[in-house]
Amino acid sequence: MNDSNRYPDNNRNRRGPSGAGSDGLSDGRLVEVHSQLARDKEEPVQGFSLTPIFIVFLFCGFGFWAGLYLTRNSGQFSAGVFDLDAPKLATSGGPAVFEPDAAKGEKLFIINCAVCHQATGLGLAGAFPPLAGSPWVGGNGERMIKAILAGLGGEIEVKGAKYNGVMPNVGAGLSNAQIANIASYVRQAWGNTAEPIMDTKVAEVRKALADRKSPYTAAELLKENPLEAK
Amino acid sequence: MTQDNRSGRPQGRPSPGESRLSRVEAQLRGPFLLFFVSAVIWLLVASVLGLISALQLRGVSGEVFTFGHVSAAQHNLFIYGWAFNAFFAINLWLTSQLGRFELRNAWLVSLGAIIWNVALTYGALSIFAGDLNGFSLLEMPRTVGPVLAVAFLLSAFWPIVAYAQRPTGHSFASQWFVVGASFVFPLAYLLAQLLVLWNPASGVVQAIAHSWFIQNLLLLWLGGSALAAVYYFLPKVLGRNITGYYLASVAFWTFFLFAGWTGTASLLGSPIPVWVQSVGVVGSAMFLVSVIITAINFHGTLSTQSGWSLAWNSTTLRFISLGAVAFTLYGVLNALFSFRGFNAVVRFTSFSAGQEQLLTYAFASMVIFGSAYFILPRLTGSLWPSTKLVHLHFWATAIGALGSISASLAVGWQSGKQLADPAVPYAQVLTASAGLASASLIFAILFLVGHVAFALNAFGMILKSSAPAVEGRHD
Amino acid sequence: MQNPKLLIAGVFLTVALPFGALLLSSQVQLGDLAPAPEEEGGALYPATVPGLAVQGRDVYTSLGCIACHTQQVRPSGQGSDIARGYGDRPSVARDYVLQSHVLLGDRRIGPDLANYGARVAPTPKGTQTEPEKAAALAKSLAAVHVAIHHGNTFAFLYEADAKGDFAPERADALAAYLLSLRQDYNSPEAKLKK
Repeated sequence: MNDSNRYPDNNRNRRGPSGAGSDGLSDGRLVEVHSQLARDKEEPVQGFSLTPIFIVFLFCGFGFWAGLYLTRNSGQFSAGVFDLDAPKLATSGGPAVFEPDAAKGEKLFIINCAVCHQATGLGLAGAFPPLAGSPWVGGNGERMIKAILAGLGGEIEVKGAKYNGVMPNVGAGLSNAQIANIASYVRQAWGNTAEPIMDTKVAEVRKALADRKSPYTAAELLKENPLEAK
Repeated sequence: MTQDNRSGRPQGRPSPGESRLSRVEAQLRGPFLLFFVSAVIWLLVASVLGLISALQLRGVSGEVFTFGHVSAAQHNLFIYGWAFNAFFAINLWLTSQLGRFELRNAWLVSLGAIIWNVALTYGALSIFAGDLNGFSLLEMPRTVGPVLAVAFLLSAFWPIVAYAQRPTGHSFASQWFVVGASFVFPLAYLLAQLLVLWNPASGVVQAIAHSWFIQNLLLLWLGGSALAAVYYFLPKVLGRNITGYYLASVAFWTFFLFAGWTGTASLLGSPIPVWVQSVGVVGSAMFLVSVIITAINFHGTLSTQSGWSLAWNSTTLRFISLGAVAFTLYGVLNALFSFRGFNAVVRFTSFSAGQEQLLTYAFASMVIFGSAYFILPRLTGSLWPSTKLVHLHFWATAIGALGSISASLAVGWQSGKQLADPAVPYAQVLTASAGLASASLIFAILFLVGHVAFALNAFGMILKSSAPAVEGRHD
Repeated sequence: MQNPKLLIAGVFLTVALPFGALLLSSQVQLGDLAPAPEEEGGALYPATVPGLAVQGRDVYTSLGCIACHTQQVRPSGQGSDIARGYGDRPSVARDYVLQSHVLLGDRRIGPDLANYGARVAPTPKGTQTEPEKAAALAKSLAAVHVAIHHGNTFAFLYEADAKGDFAPERADALAAYLLSLRQDYNSPEAKLKK
């Protein structure tokens, strides 16, 4: 085959409008013929054709499948489902029961308390009282939770040394479980040996302090929860 | 060439008025060439950038030419520079021809062309200057958006006018697709600009809006325009009717109905609610309906009466039938790989780049090339200067496309398989896909060669036509 | 088909349907998402990021880092993101509510960065990242990008250029941004794996 056959477009002199009809269909006929075809649906010579039925079945099949697929894979069209496997995991749990977690407690302590009380729990001499070995964090924990939730100010004597500072109500921005974790950690770290605190205990105290606006003073706190005798 | 007339229409109707036809083409010649020349220039720029980005994976450095800048600019210029300009031209020509539309306001179209390309130049330079955002194909500064939208309306509104004003009651599939595509894009573009850049929606809703926009751009505008050209040139050049043409209206409606839903399938596993992802999967699968019908139309037409060999021997149809096959492949691949099992493997790999290239290059660009080989000689009144360059163009781009796409797909699949196994260290996956970097360099060179051949031929022809009455062949 | 108005109206409908059903309804569903506490009354996550990190975010976008890095962790059923240690839980929509432009990304030539801050420097939540740490990270970025044969060392971030312009602030901001990327908290929609 020579080039002129391989590239008919290339070689036909199509300088004028006459080119329009010279190849295949003219535009007018192209539109007209196909317009007619669209109306007649099927070319009559072919007689009965399976194509339209095939398309109808295809459509139905796709529609059916689409409904099925969406029902199964849509997570009830919820805004909160991001993982198709997740709902199964979530239902296996049941209501969460609080367990004091020393690791979480330590992390929270570092963030919220260690600035003053130090990571060692020893405080800073003359400025911040120690927690390690302090009787203030012992007992049933109410005293400690009150200080965390409401704050504690004024003169205070811890392990024989006097301090005069203000502890802010750091607990106000924390959840019950977080406070319980912190308190449990403090009560068992650095040689302390008090019972862990449950989040329900914190909730109880928080409820009791609901109307309290000002921080405790040491004297006030001791009146409500005196230090336990050793 | 013979054509069988089964429609029962009377033969020998007066052929279209010759002087009117010529006036139709004379009116749009200026804007057409303006669009087309810009398109080819952008294609060359994008090819050079493609080469740079391929080199980059092998170690080119610098702040202006970071991989992020080069690949973003290359992507934007290829789509907005090459494909948009080319389809502005082709759509205008197509609907003018089919609707006997005389473009009286050619200056408005040319104005649109100028605004479009100036804004695009500014946008591309801004990307290199570091003024870009992270949404692919919306990377250009947001101020460019409204300007491009205005330019789009000036450039691409005319097919709708041509359709509304067509003298006969008849209409043809190409017209529907062009009208639909020209109508959808500005709408989607403005809404996406609004929701993603100007008044950002909350968090990941931006990503949903972006994926929706991408499918509107790639499928509805590029795909729709390219389908229009295939519907036109197949019967036109082969001189026969489209097989199963009565299904074309179903293809049109299913195409537009489902394409808009396919986008979120590209966000499988992303932090968007699963139902949004699943709707995307369903959309991609339903989209197959239109892919199957266009396949019946196109491949049916090509399969009768040795259509394939006729197509192979016509420059126009050689490109266009290749594009038609690519579209079918794209549809099937897109549906298959939107399913979670497959998608999880290839997500985040080069696979999706290969998929997109199948649509934008192997389909849309091939159709543009084919259309150009048909339209340009008519508008310039001259011949393609060199047959050798035509050959070079076809083989370089066809091999480049085939190689580049299959490399992206294969390497994507392979590295996806490796990534799925957490025991394989990440560095090893990267080393394994290093072959892609070398391969993409070869294909980038092939593309550049093919495009330069095409540009030389096209510019040669256009320049020749400006000199009056040049006769005969040149080579 | 023959009537242009009907054709346009039909096409408009095909655009409006997915727009309404996908975009508007997900905006309705997700538009009001806000940071949530891990436990009742706890601190809110995602946490607001420091100003330097916000600047670093612009550096990240402007350099085109998104071309190679994603910021999303897929559920364990899809891909190996969690097994690879990109995160301890899948990313959810709530993680992105404070970002003016989400940078999810869709290509991983480099690793995912959604939880990078927690992965690279496990400091306790809420503590201030020290400038030294950010500076050290900034330096190490160069080494990382050379090591994976990426070629571009982004050295211009740390070194004076020919004109003597020196802008290490950008490197610091970028490092602060990367350290601020963390999804190491429990979200109402996704719990950390134990």
